[in-house]
Order: sequence, then structure tokens, then C-alpha cells
Amino acid sequence: MTQLADAGPTLRTAPAKPTHPGRRLLDGVQAWLYISPAVLLVAALLYAPFVWTVYLSFTRYDGLGNPSWIGLKNYTTFFHDDVLWVTVSNTLMWVGGTIVLPVGLGLFVATVTYRSKRGSLLRLPFLIPYAISGAGVAVVWGFILQPHGALNDILSFLHLPGGHTSLLLYRPVNTIVMIVAATWQGVGVNALLFLVGLQSMPEAPLEAAKLDGASGWSMFRHIIWPLLRPLTAVVVGLSIVASLKTFDVVWVLTQGGPGRSSETLAVTMYRDTFVANEYGYGSAVAVLLTLIAAVASVTYLRTQLSSKRNVSW
Amino acid sequence: MGKILTRAVLAVMWVLWLIPVYLLIVNSVRSANDYATQSTWAIPHHFALWSNFMAAYHTAGLGQSLVSTFLYAVVSPAVAVVIGALAGFSIIALRLKHGFAWFMLIFGGSIFPIQMLIIPLFVGYADANLYDHRLGLILVYTAVSVPLAAFIMRNFFTGISYSIYEAAVVDGASAWRIFSRIYLPLATTALAAIFILEFTFIWNDLLFGLTLTQTETVRPVMTALSSLLSAYAGTTYNVVLAAMLFVSLPTMLVFLCAQRLFTRGLALGQTG
Repeated sequence: MTQLADAGPTLRTAPAKPTHPGRRLLDGVQAWLYISPAVLLVAALLYAPFVWTVYLSFTRYDGLGNPSWIGLKNYTTFFHDDVLWVTVSNTLMWVGGTIVLPVGLGLFVATVTYRSKRGSLLRLPFLIPYAISGAGVAVVWGFILQPHGALNDILSFLHLPGGHTSLLLYRPVNTIVMIVAATWQGVGVNALLFLVGLQSMPEAPLEAAKLDGASGWSMFRHIIWPLLRPLTAVVVGLSIVASLKTFDVVWVLTQGGPGRSSETLAVTMYRDTFVANEYGYGSAVAVLLTLIAAVASVTYLRTQLSSKRNVSW
Repeated sequence: MGKILTRAVLAVMWVLWLIPVYLLIVNSVRSANDYATQSTWAIPHHFALWSNFMAAYHTAGLGQSLVSTFLYAVVSPAVAVVIGALAGFSIIALRLKHGFAWFMLIFGGSIFPIQMLIIPLFVGYADANLYDHRLGLILVYTAVSVPLAAFIMRNFFTGISYSIYEAAVVDGASAWRIFSRIYLPLATTALAAIFILEFTFIWNDLLFGLTLTQTETVRPVMTALSSLLSAYAGTTYNVVLAAMLFVSLPTMLVFLCAQRLFTRGLALGQTG
């Protein structure tokens, strides 16, 4: 290794081969050649569709024929649509719910188990659902929540209320139980992420605090939580962006229904586009969803970066 | 006191998390007869997991979906990690001009929500004859996997001393040889971590499958699974649950066998 490292300066002081203009040009071409597959794929399949969707959002388009320019009409229609309030508030419930439940409980599971010898065993029940897809989670919970399903059975058996009705039929309960389903799946990955942070935490402050008699809650509150803050910021940020795009669980469980009562913005977008064949209108919903996600993450990042309590290590 | 409380909360969570797992297992092995007569919570009399799965297999054409999905979930990440590694190599080792700007362009592709892509892809694929074709799905899965691969590989290659590259050049090695014989082998763990993350993402994808495919042979498994639930599929839940268990096996296995690698990938990808 040291020999290799020593070769560097000698090469630079004694330019034996390079500086030949033709060769340098060839190097440049070669570098281009190596990056071009990535650039081409990303440009053709990610950037071009993105730009096209923005364009389509200003048109009326049914997927056949040509899109016709209608300016901002799709957006104004959406702002007067009755479904706007429902889908936006459902989406916000998803955002708030996933910060409190999967992220919060994931942090709890990670901090409670990371020092235990049987930590990985203790975390196992939370990791099993994580290996299941969104559609798979929806299947399991569809079974639990269906009329006369497992939840109704146990509620009736225990003579508790709610045994004769499906929780998926009413707003806002349907969105809340679907957030619970997503929590069942999501705690595991959040626990894993926090675990990475906890395990790479410096030992010194923890030892010092222990010597000072800190333990349990005060240890968490004054030592672990501040040390974890940068990571928490990342995890919460990721969770906000992901939950704004909630689709799989809702689509498989209720398709946004009954009526449109459990739609999220991503479901509204899909339905308007591929069920109602309003491609321009669906594009406008997609653009709004993207704008909301962008504004949310930028605002969130700014508050995190300006926070004085942010500890970096 | 605090310790007892946290232990108690954890224990309650344990039970709550395992109940759906229990229900999933007992009901996916329950025979049609038992399903009609027994409570959903009861231990089944007969073990009918295999026949349930075969029922799903025939109703939804799961077999062909499984083969196609394997193809997507293996080929796309494999191609994407190489393309990402090539990009990282170009920027770090070959010192591409304005390399960081190009890197930001590639990585920037990962911020677009899939919702911003599917309408033009649907329309454009129909025009280009890629709609409902395996190649179309492989292409789009590869494209969405490239930004993360480039991100991780660029970061990884930054850690390799540049003098190694220079020494190899002095020894007369070509760029391709340096890439394939030195840089790629050094990055095996990172490549595997990205591969596993992308494999899981593609295996679990629903939205691209819904919008870009139609026939049973091309349709990915999660899309096939969700179609089993629709009213006219006429399947009972014991069959759907068995199907769900089967299509989840690959990701579960990957996850159990490579949990450390998986966590590493998450850490590499999400916290930089």
C-alpha cells in the first residue's frame, strides 16, 4: 500500500506519457463513455417523463389523440373539487401518523433493545412484517379488517363494540386503521435505522453519564436523544416524503373507497388518470403532490439545519 | 420502575405484532372446508397450504408472474449496480470534467415521485411497443435503481486511494481493466448491499406493474397478488393469504440471510 501511495508524486513530477493532447482528449472521451449509460437511462426514463408530466398537467388529454393546451384549468378544477379536502386531509393524516407511530415506535424498539444480548431476538417480531411488501401487508390486514373478519370475530367474542361493522367503511377510521397496518410493517425498518445510529454512538458520553448516575429515561432524554438527533432528522424526513406518496396499502385495501373517503393524493392521481382516463388532470395532481413533497422536505430540512440543538458527531 | 414499564410496553407490542403473523399462518394453511366452518382464530384441522397455493397459482397465473418478477428483480439491479459503478468510476477515477454536476444530475433522478413518471411511461411505452413487455419493465426498474447505485458507488470509490489508479496506469493497465479487476472487486460488499436493496424494492413494487403491464406472463407478482383480492377473482382469503406467503418468501429469505448487508445498504443509502 505504501509503495503504491509513493508512486503518486513521482508520476506527477515526471510526466512521461501524458500531456499529449490527443491522449488527453481520449481520456475525456473515455470518461464520457463510462458515465453515459447512467446519464442516458436517467435522462430518458426519469427526467423526460417528469418534464412531460409537467407539460401534460396544462392540457386536456385522454391518452388518445393529442393533448390540447388548457392552461391552469386542471389546477383550478382540482382546487374546486370536493375530493380535494378529503384526499389532502387523508394524506396529512398519513404523514402525521407515520411520524408518530412507525418512527416513534421504531425509536422505542431500538433504544430498548440495542444494549440487550438478545437484541436481535427481541426485534424479530418487528422485522418479520418488514420483509412483507405493501401489497402483502394490505392482504393480511384486509383479512383482519374485512366484514366478519378476524377483528370482528375477536370483538364479538369479547362482547366489545364494533364486532358487526367493518372499520374500513367509515372515514376517518378507515385511514386510521390503514395507518395502523402500515405501522405493523414500518416499525422494523425504523428500528433498524435507529439501531445503526445507536451502535455507532460514541461510548465516552454514555460512560460518563452512567458514572454520573444517569439511567433509563434521563439517560435517553439528555444523552441518547441529543446524540441521535441528526439521524432522527433524516429518518423523519424520509418518512414524511414516503408517507406523502402512500399508495400500495390504500389501493389494495380500499382502492380509495368507499366512495372516495380513504383516498390519498397518490391514489387520487392514479384513479383520475387510469380509471377516469383524465391524463391531464392526473398529471396536475401528480405535480401538486410533487410540489407538496418538495416544499415539505425543503421546509423540514431548513428547520433542522437552523436548529441550534442540532448536535453533530 | 422505568425498566419494568418499558419491558411491559415491549411485551405488549410483541403480542400485537405477532397476532397478525399468527392469523396469517393459521389461515393460509386452512383448507376451504375448515375456512367455511371454523373461526378465523382457531387452529386448523387440516394442513392445506400447498393446495391453497396451487389454487392461487391457477387463478392468478402466479407461476409465470413469479418467473417474470425474478427476471426483473435480478437483472435490473445487476445492470444498475454496474452502470452506477461505471458512473462512479468515471467521476472519481477517470476525473470526468464537471463530474460532480453530472453526479448531481444522476442522483437527482431519485427525487421524482413515481407518480410523475407513470403517465408518460404508459403513453410512451404504448407508442414504443414496450407496454406489457418484459423489456419495458426491466428498463424502468433499471433506471429507477441507477441513482442510488451511482450515489453509493461514487461515495465508495472516493475511499479508494487515487494512487492505486495511477500505479495501475503506469503499469500499462487500461481503464476497463482497472475498473473490472481492481475497483469492482474492492466494492463487492457495497455492490451486494445495493443489489439487495434494489431486489427488494423491485420484488415488492406494485405501481409500475399496475400501469405498465396487463397479461399474466408479464405482470409482476405484487400486482398479480392484488388482483386476487378483487371481487370477481372469486378466491377466498385462505387462498390469497397462502399466495401472499409464497410471494413474500424471496424477500423474507434475502432479509433473513443478509440482514447485516441489508442494514449496511440502508445506512449507506439513507444516511450517506
